[in-house]
Amino acid sequence: MNSLLAAGTSPEFALPSIEYRLISPILLVLGMAVISVLVEAFVPRAHRRVVQLVLTFSTLIVALILVVMLAGQRAVTAAGSLAVDGPALFMQGTLLVLALMAALLVAERGVDPAGDAFAARANALPGSIDEREFTKRGWLTTEVWCLFLFSVGGMMLFVTGTDLLILFVALEIMSLPLYLLAGIARRRRLLSQEAAMKYFLLGAFSSGFFLYGSALLYGFAGTVDLGGIADAITANAGQNGLLIAGTALIAVGLFFKVAAVPFHQWAPDVYQGSPTAITAFMASCVKVAAFGAMLRIMYVALGGVRWDWRPMFWVIAILTMFVGSIIALTQTDVKRMLAYSSVAHAGFLLIAVVATNEEGLAGAMFYLLAYGVATIGGFGVITLVRDSTGEATHLSSWAGLGKRSPWVAGAFAVFLLSFAGIPLTAGFIGKFAVFEAGVAGGAGWLVVAAVLASAIAVFFYGRVIVILLFSVPAADGPTVVVPSSFTAFAIAAGLSLTVVLGIIPQPFLDLAEKASIFVR
Amino acid sequence: MTASSVLAATSNSGAEIVFWVCATLAVIGAVGMILSKKPVHSALFVALTMINLAILYVALSAPFLGMVQIIVYTGAVMMLFVFVMMIVGVDASDSLIETIKGQRWAAIVLVLGFAAMLIGAIVNGLQGVPDPSLVAANAEYGGNLQGIAKIIFTDYVIAFEVTSALLIVAALGAMLLTHRERHTPKATQEERSKARFLRYAATSELPGNLPPAGTYARHNAIDTPALAPDGSTVPASVPGPLRERGNVRPVDVAAEVEVEEISEGKTVVAPINDEDGEQR
Repeated sequence: MNSLLAAGTSPEFALPSIEYRLISPILLVLGMAVISVLVEAFVPRAHRRVVQLVLTFSTLIVALILVVMLAGQRAVTAAGSLAVDGPALFMQGTLLVLALMAALLVAERGVDPAGDAFAARANALPGSIDEREFTKRGWLTTEVWCLFLFSVGGMMLFVTGTDLLILFVALEIMSLPLYLLAGIARRRRLLSQEAAMKYFLLGAFSSGFFLYGSALLYGFAGTVDLGGIADAITANAGQNGLLIAGTALIAVGLFFKVAAVPFHQWAPDVYQGSPTAITAFMASCVKVAAFGAMLRIMYVALGGVRWDWRPMFWVIAILTMFVGSIIALTQTDVKRMLAYSSVAHAGFLLIAVVATNEEGLAGAMFYLLAYGVATIGGFGVITLVRDSTGEATHLSSWAGLGKRSPWVAGAFAVFLLSFAGIPLTAGFIGKFAVFEAGVAGGAGWLVVAAVLASAIAVFFYGRVIVILLFSVPAADGPTVVVPSSFTAFAIAAGLSLTVVLGIIPQPFLDLAEKASIFVR
Repeated sequence: MTASSVLAATSNSGAEIVFWVCATLAVIGAVGMILSKKPVHSALFVALTMINLAILYVALSAPFLGMVQIIVYTGAVMMLFVFVMMIVGVDASDSLIETIKGQRWAAIVLVLGFAAMLIGAIVNGLQGVPDPSLVAANAEYGGNLQGIAKIIFTDYVIAFEVTSALLIVAALGAMLLTHRERHTPKATQEERSKARFLRYAATSELPGNLPPAGTYARHNAIDTPALAPDGSTVPASVPGPLRERGNVRPVDVAAEVEVEEISEGKTVVAPINDEDGEQR
């Protein structure tokens, strides 16, 4: 205790150098998230929605402009804990574009006659008189916007952080709001609460793995800095138990977040139960953020032991691609089907991690953008197909949708084609880039497996397209609601980006290639 | 952390005893937490583990961490757990029915395998790891607290600051899921008073307090309904169980008979039969 109380002669306190300009997009998003909490506290209920909408969209747009203005920067700042480099900025930009599109879906108010996609009051018991009263009075859970901004801020931090401590904090800032958002759907509330509970418990469990892995890597390297860990690996040639176990545990934590087999079990339930707008946000942005962090950790810190972790990633990647594609075939619910499809995509993206080369990084970044825009567009379409109880997600009720609403069905078909990786869509270019990087990175057989898995995937996407466009519509099928301009704009943006990235991918590929070097 | 590395840090027999006692108790606490069926016992076992970890931290010259462990984890977090359990009900026990057949055995086998792998890896990795004690680090910064302060506000200042975002989200989430608001404003005293009198006008339900049994009536016994100012009886003034049993004394009729009887010099109160016919 004496040492605790003794007024020692501490060395001169030097302020850390933080280049605020470089991290301004992150600070802006997190700062505005705090302000949006104040909006909840002080703005009258009737005006909150409008204020929150203006605040969220302007924040995301300004942050995107800031990211674009920072293009080309390469620096480690904030006392070595944040790396503002090409991959970080590219993925921050991707995240902000996807978050803007997801925010459009979250803002939609026209498709559900009762209001937006969220419970009028999250704490009113499902089916209670209270719930009916709140709904009748048109209350809205505008806290959704605070949580949304916090989550986006956490994701941006997650792709930028370059020490394990800040990565863990960012992981939690990203996940906690999502656990909450998953549980406050307006329709099928018990299903939504179950999804939130599962996501929370399994998410907390996986965070524990990440943290344990970080602790073991700290035990090995004596530092949590990714560059420092890489240096320690170079200095200590040979196997080390702490290093191997730490690598495995950190990978498990990240596999959970990207929903790689066998850590994917939560994904179908959570994707199905969450409000569809949040599912879109979760499926696209979490995948970008988690792969951003995984690529950084595996490339920067653990690149030196890639021969040790690559076999594990091979197995996980092959399992993920095949299990995702094959189980997706058997699904009868559209949201669950897209969930398994997103599992399969995680497998394809793991090839880029295995490749551990610049092409892999660039390919993964392009793939994430292509996958993200198609995912948000796809879930956007799901919000439109409704019957009296809410969204009609059973595949049988989607039969023959093309005959009744050719535009909506056509858009969904394009998104599915992009998922399947058919030429002239963004998905094809993404897959091609990742496979090419895999071959260059010495993972040829993995790419062969991936091509086989793609063939299975093409079969199941094709089956859905056939059901959608060529079968006879059911007499009492769901109606396709005409959305307000929010959802319409999100789907249109997803559609045009999917096609543009598929037809003229070169500028984007060049941008990703230029951005594909991590700074240490 | 192996025994040898802790011993290297302290290198005297006192510290050796502290390590073995605390480490054993911490492991017992951790195992007990999983094995005990009652949640309160589990919580207390966790507290045992945490206190022993705190002592180990102090023994490794990390007094700040040790104190925080006791004050925050044992003191605040664990007590919060216990509060929640008390609110939920200490008798609430988890259903131990396996929904997936053979899950428990599979889990035990996998956990043992995982533990063996981790212990193997850690023991292998700890060969040649330097002294884990913070004595040298504390000396460098002029004290444990000074060192932690320096590191938090220089190297990890961003992590420290953004943790606040985490806390805001946690608070916001707790409010979102539990804070109840009224959908209609609470009625004021004036409104409730007006509503009472309007109801009286419509249904002649008394606007004021209920009179006690026997008010204005012949008897003030508990089974005698009160009389309202207009002369009618107020059945609700008699306690419910008596009304249910049919033991309400019919005031209006009985009063006349009783008056007659009293004037003839007979018994003052007529006996009333209970359900079992016994006189009272």
